[in-house]
Amino acid sequence: MLKILIPSMFMLLTTWTSPFKQLWSTILMYSFLVATLSLTWLAMPTDTGWFYINNYMAYDPLSSPLLVLTCWLLPLMIIASQNHLAAEPENRQRTYISLLISLQIFLILAFSATEMIMFYVMFEATLIPTLIIITRWGNQMERLNAGTYFLFYTLAGSLPLLVALLIYHSSMGSLSYLSLTSLPLTCSNLYADKLWWMACLLAFLVKMPLYGVHLWLPKAHVEAPIAGSMVLAAVLLKLGGYGMMRIMIILDPLTKELSYPFIILALWGVIMTGSICLRQTDLKSLIAYSSVSHMGLVAAGILIQTPWGFTGALILMIAHGLTSSALFCLANTNYERTHSRTIILARGLQMVLPLMATWWFLASLANLALPPLPNLMGEIMIITSLFNWSFYTLILTGLGTLITASYSLYMFLLTQRGPIPHHLILLEPSHTREHLLLALHLLPLLLLIAKPELVWGWTA
Amino acid sequence: MNPYILTILLFAMGLGTTITFASSHWLLAWMGLEINTLAILPLMCQSHHPRAVEATIKYFLTQATAAAMLLFASITNAWITGQWNLEFMSYSLPTTLVTVALALKIGLAPLHAWMPEVLQGLDLTTGLILSTWQKLAPFYLLLQINPSNTSLLLILGLASTLVGGWGGLNQNQLRKILAYSSIAHLGWMILVLQFFPSLTLLTLLMYFVMTFSLFISFKVNNSTTINSLSMSWSKAPIISSMVPFILLSLGGLPPLSGFMPKWLILQELTKQSLAPLATLAALSALLSLYFYLRISYAMTLTMSPNILLNALPWRLPSNQHTLPLAITTSLTICLLPLTPAIITLLTL
Repeated sequence: MLKILIPSMFMLLTTWTSPFKQLWSTILMYSFLVATLSLTWLAMPTDTGWFYINNYMAYDPLSSPLLVLTCWLLPLMIIASQNHLAAEPENRQRTYISLLISLQIFLILAFSATEMIMFYVMFEATLIPTLIIITRWGNQMERLNAGTYFLFYTLAGSLPLLVALLIYHSSMGSLSYLSLTSLPLTCSNLYADKLWWMACLLAFLVKMPLYGVHLWLPKAHVEAPIAGSMVLAAVLLKLGGYGMMRIMIILDPLTKELSYPFIILALWGVIMTGSICLRQTDLKSLIAYSSVSHMGLVAAGILIQTPWGFTGALILMIAHGLTSSALFCLANTNYERTHSRTIILARGLQMVLPLMATWWFLASLANLALPPLPNLMGEIMIITSLFNWSFYTLILTGLGTLITASYSLYMFLLTQRGPIPHHLILLEPSHTREHLLLALHLLPLLLLIAKPELVWGWTA
Repeated sequence: MNPYILTILLFAMGLGTTITFASSHWLLAWMGLEINTLAILPLMCQSHHPRAVEATIKYFLTQATAAAMLLFASITNAWITGQWNLEFMSYSLPTTLVTVALALKIGLAPLHAWMPEVLQGLDLTTGLILSTWQKLAPFYLLLQINPSNTSLLLILGLASTLVGGWGGLNQNQLRKILAYSSIAHLGWMILVLQFFPSLTLLTLLMYFVMTFSLFISFKVNNSTTINSLSMSWSKAPIISSMVPFILLSLGGLPPLSGFMPKWLILQELTKQSLAPLATLAALSALLSLYFYLRISYAMTLTMSPNILLNALPWRLPSNQHTLPLAITTSLTICLLPLTPAIITLLTL
């Protein structure tokens, strides 16, 4: 673990001391090395149980796929950002890369934390680099509002979480994951205990996001530059899911009744945000709402608390991370050419950029959960476990799947098929780095078809 | 100001606080506070600007009232118990009166109204002295008498955090924002005074470090309004890139050091079964965070569309001594991992 964390920290040093002409290549190569090393985390001789590095950092089959996704995403973010930062002064480029690297360090520490307060501190710590990336390097005036919404929604949810964790600590004595399974809070029916249950989950529900508290996400995703959108969609939302999975252990048995409205809200959110996607004019906004939709399904899967639910949630988180990040990269290729996110301004691209159309096709198929991709595996497992809980959820989830398929297809057909608009007279051909970027997103997704054991956690 | 006069005044301020620190007799403590107040008054009105003079008068009147109330409380205590010792106040009337007097001295809500106007009338350095040094002696007294009137301290604390948050929202003058930030932080300090006094001291010292960084950063830019901060990228680019971190640290965001006092205070409050109060205080910190974020937006995260036709100031050599700023900024950002060591130091 330290052989990945310490090099990541020293990557910060490399950013500031590399000669400027070799900055991007050096950082790219360095981050690819770290990402390759991080693949060792996937090898697990036993199916359950922790792999301890020291008392404070460990990983298990739940956190290792997320850790590998985090490490894999940094080189992708570097490839994606190089073009739009090329015009900036040298020190600002170095600062941007430092922000991305520090984000990765905080995420590694968050996913490998063994104690809940350490997880909380790192969970909050990821907010600062993301805030700076969104508000400093976003492109429109609305980015300030986006940063404020992002920071305050997350903090308003997570400050009660801090108090709830401290309450648990003062009564149980320890917040280490290793002992959480044997220390559930004794069952009582006081109203205060229900508030405590809510306080534990609110932060993660806001981060996922759950449908009612999701307003920060479209703003933040749309206004962020490409690396910001990638890391937000791929990893930061999964922090919410991961935290929820970890904290569910201590929330029994209150969850049996109290989770009811949140499951329904999450499933309703799948349908509502899917329907909103069908009416979007902004491409990034469409992908952002599709993120909310998928994560609503993840939230429902986690709140169900069955083995299939957890497994499905984890698989869907990994698959959605790769898919959503790929879609944002594709939207960015459009944005870099036309400097507009309006969908109808750049249509019929299959005629102009046929190779990119392949990637659009694959990413859209992944988004609509085509078998045998892991997206489907995750969704099917969640839908099955929800069906087991109540038959009627099938209406909501079935309708949700249908709407997901329709807006993914809609996005593909609208951007790729049809006649080219008359005003598109000069579009650069696709760059190799864009093809590389998308291949690196979608190849792991395709390879996961062959060995899903890597990402299905410890329960299946 | 004449350097000899300045020396005398600064020595007198130090003397006043030191006398209060060294005292165990109420009259000596009161005397130290009065010397302290009198010494800073010429510093406050040295610019002879009407606003500065008005600030000086307001400061003098409130501090004198507070000191008189303190004297009255200690005389009452002497009348009832027959002794003048600081630590042996056991009756509720003198203790409460001392607490309220000291609250007026440091500017806790609802006795905070003088603070924004007084700070607005001062220049940044004197304002820094007012926010940091002048709080030491009253806090020493608060820690010594160890007030145990639970609800009074909690009301003072919670009201201060809320007033500090809401009051600063409509300001664009930096000194008034710093005043409201001071009120909010003092509220946090008072919340935990009766449960874990060492945390009060920790919060006070952390607040000193963070506020020092912020005041000196503003002084380097020579700016007193949010709008004038927007050109700081051209004067001192590195300082303007560090200020968002100082501001977020003041707002209490992990992993910066400002999170440390808030975390420890919330822990203590939950141990004392005051969880709803802890949640309210934590959420009130979000109000302050909003205006800190607004300053950082104006200063660093956006660039104002001014067209500069001259050589940017950062290219020219400057005589400013920024070593203290560098030290306190590093402490403001990087001190959180040392929390266990600091707690051990405090509980010795």
